[in-house]
Amino acid sequence: MADLSIDLAGIKSPNPFWLASAPPTNSGYQVQRAFEAGWGGAVWKTLGDPILNVSSRFAAVSFNGQRVAGFNNIELITDRPLEVNLKEIYETKKRFPDHAIIASVMVEPQQEKWHEIIKRIEDVGVDGYELNFGCPHGMAERGMGAASGQVPELVEKQTYWAKEAASKPVIVKLTPNITDITVTAEAAVRGGADAISMINTINSLAGVDIHSWNTIPHVGGKGAHGGYCGPAVKPIALNMVAECARNKMINVPISGIGGISNWQDTVEFLLMGSTGVQICTAAMHHGFRIVEDLIDGLSNYLDEKGISSVMDIVGKSVPRYSDWGNLDLNYKVVARINNDVCINCNKCHIACEDTSHQCIDMLKDTSGSSFLRVREEDCVGCNLCSIVCPADGAIDMIELTNELPPMTWNERQSFLGGISSESVDFVK
Amino acid sequence: MSEYQEYRLEREQIDFLLERGYRITRVSESLSGAFLDFELIEGTKQEWKQLNIKTPEGRKYFSTLLFKKKLN
Repeated sequence: MADLSIDLAGIKSPNPFWLASAPPTNSGYQVQRAFEAGWGGAVWKTLGDPILNVSSRFAAVSFNGQRVAGFNNIELITDRPLEVNLKEIYETKKRFPDHAIIASVMVEPQQEKWHEIIKRIEDVGVDGYELNFGCPHGMAERGMGAASGQVPELVEKQTYWAKEAASKPVIVKLTPNITDITVTAEAAVRGGADAISMINTINSLAGVDIHSWNTIPHVGGKGAHGGYCGPAVKPIALNMVAECARNKMINVPISGIGGISNWQDTVEFLLMGSTGVQICTAAMHHGFRIVEDLIDGLSNYLDEKGISSVMDIVGKSVPRYSDWGNLDLNYKVVARINNDVCINCNKCHIACEDTSHQCIDMLKDTSGSSFLRVREEDCVGCNLCSIVCPADGAIDMIELTNELPPMTWNERQSFLGGISSESVDFVK
Repeated sequence: MSEYQEYRLEREQIDFLLERGYRITRVSESLSGAFLDFELIEGTKQEWKQLNIKTPEGRKYFSTLLFKKKLN
């Protein structure tokens, strides 16, 4: 069996599955239940001045029968006194010494505030800290969370202040509510962060009740924006992880967060540069025992690939991620319909005809039966037909060999610019 | 005419001029596509042609030919 243990900036954990700082890590009771179930680590629900919450806090977006495709919350950080949390962290760490416990922390952007809270947490045995610069709602209105996480100078300073007081590794959790997450990631690195984690939740309004006209959720008829997470945000999170992973200035480990729901999602995040993952929504939807499937799936995957340690796949896909300008303009795929599998629903034809490149013909064979065929010369390889096709295996995207050599947009532009001013002695 | 047919036509026009000894002297790209200026010099005789390459495949084609030439 492959070794699933990870070492993220010196924080060791028996497997890469951590619970993210959120309602599932609110108390010692919950975190201990999670560790009993098999979770490798937990980021404790954010510590800070205890807040007051409202009632009616969560909302979910269902899509075509898929419940909790996206999840929205307006809950704030811990509402319990620091002493209560620290006592439970101490007890939990004592009972599970080999599991990672990371204290998520949020205070006002003042040096003495960071020093005070870090020093008070130091003695209970946490393995590290995660600075919450990401919560988009409530706390941000008070200048904390995403409000300070959107200002690179504040990210750098606060990281520095936390590092001044911390003897354990400091992870900086970044907000996605920003144009370019690598800017704040670089600021965190400049401030001395040992690692970064991403993404926190995305500003959201889950919906509006079209009958009562109330927001979803609403608090006595009034709503406020919340933080969005769950499967719907996975592609956004994965891109942000990848952008940071391929940035040479961001040379610290990444803890990946954002819609990770199964072992396959986990592998994707690891390949794209995450040293471990943090999960919340999937646990809230299905309970802590999902970790059994996560561990089994990841372990079997590594065994089947002949990989002895999960750390060996970290970042393996990063070199394959680049800018659009570095993609080969002459690479070509086309759709091919397997008529023996096709169920003749015509969805591909409609999609192609209405919204793509009009290259799937509806034909009739000699017996008068309808069938579909792609005019490969007109197909641009957009993938839409295979995306909308409900029959597995009915449409393959086939790689064509191109007589033309690879050429990227950047290569094209670099030599084409010169051609307008000089003659090219060109003979075919 | 399908876009593919249009591309084939453009490609044939480019190939035809190149095979006759023309060389590409200028490429200018605008909202109307790419304009290729061709020049043929035979002794004292000089001839010019211009093609407006409109299809994306056609624009990929001539730039790849030029790129290939540059690489060689």
